[in-house]
Amino acid sequence: MKLNTTFNRVYQFTCAHRLHSDTLSDRENLDVYDKCNNYNGHGHDYTLEVSLKGDPDPKTGMIVPLQEFDHRVKKVLSVLDYKHLDKEVEYFRTHHSSGEVIVQYLWDELEKLFPHGQLYHLKLWETNNNYFELGV
Amino acid sequence: MDIKEIQITKKFEFSASHRYWREDWTDKKNNEVFGLCTSPYGHGHNYELHVTVTGTVDPDTGMIINLSDLKKYVKLVLEEFDHKYLNLDNTAFQELIPTTENIARVLYEKIDSQLVNKGDFKLFRVRLYERSDLYVDVWSPGE
Repeated sequence: MKLNTTFNRVYQFTCAHRLHSDTLSDRENLDVYDKCNNYNGHGHDYTLEVSLKGDPDPKTGMIVPLQEFDHRVKKVLSVLDYKHLDKEVEYFRTHHSSGEVIVQYLWDELEKLFPHGQLYHLKLWETNNNYFELGV
Repeated sequence: MDIKEIQITKKFEFSASHRYWREDWTDKKNNEVFGLCTSPYGHGHNYELHVTVTGTVDPDTGMIINLSDLKKYVKLVLEEFDHKYLNLDNTAFQELIPTTENIARVLYEKIDSQLVNKGDFKLFRVRLYERSDLYVDVWSPGE
């Protein structure tokens, strides 16, 4: 039987950030971003679900060996973990650190580390109540 | 209202032990690839299985599938998995390493055959959690 299979791992990382746009006035920033515009920033425990699609290797029974999977994802997440995104991560000095942009950034970074077409879906939880998805 | 493609999902739990090991590989290679999962007598997990069924909503009952029936079909399949050492006690894993990917695929095939010709519904997807941070989805390419 031909079946589709995804292997999915759940990771956590923690960051500080502030949502603020230089093209808006202070008043407009507050209107748009509300408490996320807090001057000194705030933070989240992010949860990231990473899905890879493929056929399990007949020798190992795995789509990708777990240690290798973890190693690659952690390489990407270590750039963000325990950082203030806007102040300490190069990419976010010039990009908004909203969930939408973070999930796009993670997709671009992770895609480089896996064979073409293997990265299938990302689900980024910013809090227990909101998440951002990208992929199929 | 035109209702179509509704899915219903029921969760199940089972506990099993397994071991990742290839006899045709050296101990070193097995340990490199499979890590802690090579532990000689196996180790175990409380697996959580989500079984998703799709089909027509029966106008008489308002249901796609009676959940008691679904429970009966899935429980029948899980008899070979629950409180077993998969490598030795389940014939599907005599040649196949019982990774989460392989367990989920075997479960998909077995549950799918249980549901055939039982009503106007079919298996849509199985999701198998080994732990809360590791899961596999399996579905048919037609979906």
